[in-house]
Amino acid sequence: MSPDRDPSAPAIVSLSDEDLMAQVAEDDERAFTELVRRFQGRVINLVSRVLNDRECADDLAQEVFVRVFVHRRNYRRGSKFSTWLFTIAANLAKNEIRRRVRRRNWFSLDALQEMLKDSVIQLADPTESRESALEREQLQAAVGLAIATVPEKYRLALVLRDIEGLPYEEIALVLNIPGGTVRSRINRARSMLKRKLQPLLRKVVAP
Amino acid sequence: MNCTQARRLFGACWDDETTQVERELLESHFASCPRCRAAYDEFSRALELAASLPRVEPAPDLVERLLSRVRRLGPAPDHLPALRPVWLPVAAAAAVLVIVGILLAPWFGLRPAPPSGPSQLARQPVAQPVRVPTAAPQPAVAGAPAPRPGAGTEFVGIPDSLFDHSEDMEFILDPVTLHRGRASVARASLKQPGIQGEQAVITF
Repeated sequence: MSPDRDPSAPAIVSLSDEDLMAQVAEDDERAFTELVRRFQGRVINLVSRVLNDRECADDLAQEVFVRVFVHRRNYRRGSKFSTWLFTIAANLAKNEIRRRVRRRNWFSLDALQEMLKDSVIQLADPTESRESALEREQLQAAVGLAIATVPEKYRLALVLRDIEGLPYEEIALVLNIPGGTVRSRINRARSMLKRKLQPLLRKVVAP
Repeated sequence: MNCTQARRLFGACWDDETTQVERELLESHFASCPRCRAAYDEFSRALELAASLPRVEPAPDLVERLLSRVRRLGPAPDHLPALRPVWLPVAAAAAVLVIVGILLAPWFGLRPAPPSGPSQLARQPVAQPVRVPTAAPQPAVAGAPAPRPGAGTEFVGIPDSLFDHSEDMEFILDPVTLHRGRASVARASLKQPGIQGEQAVITF
């Protein structure tokens, strides 16, 4: 890597993601660091929500950026960097899900039902005037677990759309599936999520 | 608009991708159908909950750990590295050829070269030379070669092949039965009529 750069070159922070990636391909360490700073939060959030595992998300996010670095010369200029990055992240998350399924180290629906039941009891308590921090954490844990129990191919589309806010066209590129398939997967994922959270939703009054 | 049509528009309505006409139709349906209204409220509430999950923050030292890891990786190759070493299939093919050659060698009459020095196997008393008492040199069959003079008793080395005709002697092999690894020769064997020569007892 070459940390020395031409002083007349534009400041790293003002460069686009794609320009930064072009510099990473030339072994520019500062450009790589800037890219990591820009995207580390989104990558960790994506894999963390897909896997519902904060600890593993850190390692997996690191692996995503290592792949970016290792394959830096395979990045095609002209394609959107974030699409390429999310493709790598989605593929690694898929691999991790499948590895866990093989090892049967995964969430059970019973655990979800139990957590939802507890949350409903807490939230339905009439003496509670507002959500305490504990209740909020429980609610978030229940929602996170509900997302994690959606089947893999629907879950990835759901997280990319409804948590990361990617447009349908970009999700199609990331998952390498047609746009119509993306829409149908997201619709199905949303229906599944609604069904899983239904016991909770019926008790919670929308703000 | 009926309930099925209305529910198909839930996703598009949430994404704000409905046309003005679709939105008006949906609103008018909700006004007349409290079940679809409640279903849409649940749908949107579930997605709100998912979207409002707190962002997971990266570990503060992630960048440093990552940089120290990629610094160890070194420069990038110009192209993707080969998935397997090139020599691997070549070595595998060579190994197969050698094994096949070894297996087929006896069928083509090839034998391995004798060892230059005494090997471990050679020192083992597995097969002793057979002492063959020769009878009086009386060739009974015309054309049979005369025995070598002065050979009352001689050692005949065990040929490597039982079909080695270099020696002017025919071997009649008695049936050999093995008892717990020790060889014994069935003594009831008889000389077959018409065959000249001596019986050779071969122990293994």
